[in-house]
Amino acid sequence: MIRLRGVSLTYPNGTRALDHVDLEIEKGSFVFLVGHSGTGKSSLLKLVYREELPSNGEVWVDNVRVDTLRRGKVPKLRRNIGVVFQDFKLLAHKTVWENVAFALQVTGTRTRDVMRMVPRALDLVGLSHKSRMFPDELSGGEQQRTAIARALVGNPKILLCDEPTGNLDPSNTTEIMELLQRINLKGTTVVVATHNQAVVDRMRRRVVRLEHGRILHDDERGYYFRGLGQTAVLPG
Amino acid sequence: MTSEAIISVDWGRLRFFLGEVLTNFTRNAGMQFTAIGTVAVTIVLLGSFLYVRQTLTTFGTGVLKQIEIAVYLKDDVGDPQARALATRFAKDNRIAAAIYVPKAQGLKRMRAVLGKDFDTSLLTANPLPNTYRVRVKDADSVPNVAAWIAKDPRVAKTDYAADTVQKLLKTAAVLGRAGIALIVLLSISAAIVIANTIRLTVFARRREIAIMQLVGATNLYIRMPFIAEGMLAGLLGAGVAIGVLAAAQHEIVPKLAQTLAFVTFDVNGTQLCLELLGCGAAVGIVAAWYSVGRHLRA
Repeated sequence: MIRLRGVSLTYPNGTRALDHVDLEIEKGSFVFLVGHSGTGKSSLLKLVYREELPSNGEVWVDNVRVDTLRRGKVPKLRRNIGVVFQDFKLLAHKTVWENVAFALQVTGTRTRDVMRMVPRALDLVGLSHKSRMFPDELSGGEQQRTAIARALVGNPKILLCDEPTGNLDPSNTTEIMELLQRINLKGTTVVVATHNQAVVDRMRRRVVRLEHGRILHDDERGYYFRGLGQTAVLPG
Repeated sequence: MTSEAIISVDWGRLRFFLGEVLTNFTRNAGMQFTAIGTVAVTIVLLGSFLYVRQTLTTFGTGVLKQIEIAVYLKDDVGDPQARALATRFAKDNRIAAAIYVPKAQGLKRMRAVLGKDFDTSLLTANPLPNTYRVRVKDADSVPNVAAWIAKDPRVAKTDYAADTVQKLLKTAAVLGRAGIALIVLLSISAAIVIANTIRLTVFARRREIAIMQLVGATNLYIRMPFIAEGMLAGLLGAGVAIGVLAAAQHEIVPKLAQTLAFVTFDVNGTQLCLELLGCGAAVGIVAAWYSVGRHLRA
């Protein structure tokens, strides 16, 4: 589903964010990208949704080479990828319903389909009853659920989450991670960049650890630190 | 467009789009007023200039159409010979009419025109020649026809007011070129103000634009509300200008018409309004396209 071959990324200021990264993520899998701040997790995600272009190497998404994709084709790529951020990126003057519908409306979806798809996404994240509220009337967890609903409303094949629980308390963090698991169970490929050790160790999914822009280890059912895992109970 | 296509208009999408345009438009109301004002000033000048130019051209062309060639016959050409010229004129299809004015009639007319100011008692003989007043069908052929008539041995001299009219038309043309340069400069300044206004809106909506790009909106789709905003500012500016021009016409033209009785103020108002609205909209669209384009490329 996602394939990186010999990918390096150096920013114009000379910072080397990624250094010869090879990575393959299967369709329908759940992967944690872990590592300290500045190790290249966000940069890797940006390459996938083509916010950045690699300095070297190839980036493939769903058998399409993304790094050489024409600018005009980028919107189509992004409709297949949902992205969730730490700061939610919700529009304060729009209600929950409008924030979610926005993703469909600006991609030219027919109103009939918007009316059908938005309630479904809100139902999935459990926010149907708060659809008329504005973001600042919601808790952090609810705001992130709204952002997830927006990312998912167009039925993308991939969901990329960049520190999705970075601004949340433990209880909301658990709630969001459970939601991401449910989404993954429905067949969506989920990639979560995080430095939340507790979350990673509790869920025991594939863990790709980055350090200084390189992959340090890549373990199926791994821990945040190799060999230093905590015994945890999977939520749900 | 077929009737089915009309029926299948997605009102929800249209409402969303118009909502976006209105949000953009009202977000920087102060700047919008400045932009509308600048466009209005430009369009008022453009409108006045087009009005004056059209009036001058109409006037000049009208005068040219009415130009008569005065054909002065030689003194030794007698009345019958002179009248024979009429046959020659009648055969030429460039000539619309040729009226013979014998010298006696000419003097009579001169007396009638000049009245008391002209003391004809001083005249011992009629100094006027026998004359033909020739009207041509096409104003452009006046110089050629006059030259052709001048070749006739019975003709002493031909005369027409071409110089004056040519000067008038030349003035209109020069005015046209100078005016166009002025309008281009003013349009650029209006476009810059609109572009800056749109840039502020783009800046205020950068979060929304970022989300739009993230969820896969095309650049064209992102541009459209801003283009509509620019067009709206341009159209409103043109609308204000048309109002000002209409008021000015209502106040000034009747007074001018009294003073300049020989000038006809016959300007096609609907066409002028459409031209001005078109200019306003075009300036707005170009400015917005450029402004948003810079942001999307960045």
